[in-house]
Amino acid sequence: MTSTTGNTPAAPATAAETPAVAAAREDLAALRRQQAFAAADEAALDGLIAVRPPERRPRPDPVWDDAPVLVHEVVGERYRRLVLATDTIATTALAGQFLMITVPPAEGERILLPRPMAIHRRHPEQGTVEVIYGVAGRGTTALADVAVGESLLVTGPLGRGFEFPDAAEPDAALPTAAHPRPARTALMIGRGVGVCAIMGSVEDAARLGIAATVVLSGRSRANLIGPADCAELGARVIPVTDDDGSSALPALGGRLRGLFGSAPPDVILVCGAGVLARLAAELGAEWGVPVQVSLEAHMACGLGYCHGCAAPVATDPAVEGPLVCVDGPVFDAVLPGG
Amino acid sequence: MTIAPPRPTTDARRAFFDARPADSAAVDLSVRIGSLTLANPVMPASGCFGPSLGRLIPVAELGAVVTKTVFGTPRGGNAAHRLTEIRAGMVNSVGIPSRGAAGYLASQHPLYLALGVPVIVSVGGHRPGEYAPVVQGLRGAGDAYELNVSCPNLDRHGTDIGSDPDAIGTVVRLVRQETDKPLIVKLPVLVSSIADCAQAAEAAGADAVCVANSIPALPLTADTRSPVLGNVIGGLSGPNIRPIVLRLVWLAARAVDIPVIACGGIETADDALDYFSVGARAVQVGTASFGRPFAMVDITRALQERCLAAGAADIGELIELWRA
Repeated sequence: MTSTTGNTPAAPATAAETPAVAAAREDLAALRRQQAFAAADEAALDGLIAVRPPERRPRPDPVWDDAPVLVHEVVGERYRRLVLATDTIATTALAGQFLMITVPPAEGERILLPRPMAIHRRHPEQGTVEVIYGVAGRGTTALADVAVGESLLVTGPLGRGFEFPDAAEPDAALPTAAHPRPARTALMIGRGVGVCAIMGSVEDAARLGIAATVVLSGRSRANLIGPADCAELGARVIPVTDDDGSSALPALGGRLRGLFGSAPPDVILVCGAGVLARLAAELGAEWGVPVQVSLEAHMACGLGYCHGCAAPVATDPAVEGPLVCVDGPVFDAVLPGG
Repeated sequence: MTIAPPRPTTDARRAFFDARPADSAAVDLSVRIGSLTLANPVMPASGCFGPSLGRLIPVAELGAVVTKTVFGTPRGGNAAHRLTEIRAGMVNSVGIPSRGAAGYLASQHPLYLALGVPVIVSVGGHRPGEYAPVVQGLRGAGDAYELNVSCPNLDRHGTDIGSDPDAIGTVVRLVRQETDKPLIVKLPVLVSSIADCAQAAEAAGADAVCVANSIPALPLTADTRSPVLGNVIGGLSGPNIRPIVLRLVWLAARAVDIPVIACGGIETADDALDYFSVGARAVQVGTASFGRPFAMVDITRALQERCLAAGAADIGELIELWRA
C-alpha cells in the first residue's frame, strides 16, 4: 500500500550473469522489499494499542464443531472462501470474532496447530459462516486441499470483537473519543484478508441503520475482498489498490480527510495493516472519534491458556501484557500521548 | 447485538459431552501418585491447559488437571513471537507468565477447583532454593505439586536444575519439608542420565517423576534465516518427539519404583499405550489439545473401551494379554 522506501537495491546485473543468478537476485530484492514493508508495518503499531474497556454484552460461549464444508472456492488471485455449516457459531458470533480452524491431516503433511481466522460473514438463517484466507504457508496450503463435503474442526466464536459506540457517558457534556456519541455513521478500513474482520460490523451496521463507508484495500481490483458483500449490505465502498497508487497512505489519507473532514464518522474500525491502523488513529485524533483495530498473532489455543499471543503493548516486565486472543483481537488504537 | 437463534442449534461439542460412557465396574483405570488416587491416568501437560478449556470438554472425565507453572514472584513472559510451528513440530517459548503464588491463589486456583478433579499445581524456580517458598506460598492449595525443574539454574550458570541430580535432590528435600502432599518431579529431555535424575528424585522423597518436557530447539525463518522466536530458543513438542521420550520413559521406569508419568507427543490412546507398555503409569497430553481440544477425553474413553473389549481389568492386564 505504501511505496517501499528504505530498500538497498540489489547489486546491478553483469553481462556474465546466468538465469539462475538473475532469479536469485530478484528473489533477494523481493525479500528486501518485503522485510522493509513488514518492519514499517510493525513499527506503525508502536505505542498505538490499548485494551478496550469492559464489554457491554457478555461474549457467547465458544464451542467446537465438525463443520461440513459447503463451499470452498478461489476468490481473486490469492484467496479462498470457505462456507462452513456450524449452527451454534453462526447464530452466536459477534462482529469481529474469530475461529480456530484445525487443518486435517493429509498425505505427507501434518499440521499441529489450528489457524486463527476471522469470521467474514454470519448467516444465522442458514446456520453457516464464511471465512476467507490467503494461501501463504504450510497450514493454509494444506487447508486449500480440503474438499467440499469434508468437515473441518472449528472452535469459536472467540475473542473480543468490534463494538459500535451506543451511548455517551451521562456526565459527558460533549462527545469525545473516550465518550463517543451513539454511532450513526462508521468508517471501516480493511486491507487484504483483514477486510474479513470488519465485515461482521458492516453486517451489524446494515441491521442497525448505521451508514457505513468501507475502504477496501488490496494489490489490485481483482484482489479486493468484500465488494460484493458491501454491495449486498448497502455500504458505500471506496476501493483502493497498490497498482494505481490509490492505496498509498498520503493519497488515502487525503481522500478520507476530503470526504469526512466536515462531517466525521462516529467511529473508525480498521484491520489488515499496522500503517492503516496508524492512519486511522491519526484521523480519529483529528476528528475526535474512537478507533478500534483488530490484530493478528501466532497462537495455539485461542482461549488464553497457551499465552502464545502477546499483544504489542509495552508493559511492566513483571506483569504479563494483554493477549490478542482474549483481550483482543480488537483493541483501541490511540496515538501515543493522544 | 446477539442474533436470536432462528431454530435449535447443534454442535459437535454438545454431542461429545452427551456421549460420556457409563462407569464400568469391570475396568479400573485408577492410578496412585503417593497418597493421591486419580480415577484414570490421563491429565494435561502443564502450560497446555487452562480452566477455559472446561467450556469445551468434560474435564471431569480426566484423571487430574495440571496448572501452568507458578513462580514465587510475578513474571511477564517473553517477547513475541512466543510460538511457531515448523515441520518438526510446535516450538514455544512463552516464558511462563505467572502472577506468583499469591496471584495464583487469588485469581486462578478457584477456577481450577471448580473443575471437580484433582488439581496438580506446577511449581517453578530459578534456583533449587526457590521451590519450597512457592509451595509454602500456596498455603496447602492443590492436591499434589509438580516441580518443574526444566528451568535454568541461576546458581549454576544456567544449567537446567533438572539435569543435575544433586540439584533435583535439593529441590525435593526442601519442598518435602513444606508439605506431605504428593510431589512429582518433571524432568527435562537433555540429561546425561535420566535414570540418575529419576533416582535422585525418588531418593529425596518424590512420589513420581514426569518424563519429559519439550526439547530445546531453534526455529529460523525460511527467508532471512533469522530466529522466529523472541527468545531465540524454544521447546519442541508434538508427535515427532515421541520416540525420543519413549526411550527416556523406558530408562526411567527401569530405574525407579515410583510411578513414571509420560509426557511427549501423545495424541491418541495408542500413543498412550506405547508409553504404558514401556513402564509409564500415567500420561500427560500437551500439544495435541490445541488442534483437538477433546484429545485427552478421547484417550480416557478409548482406554476404557480397549480394556472392556479385551476383557482386561486394567491397563497392565491389557498389555499382558497382548504379550501372552
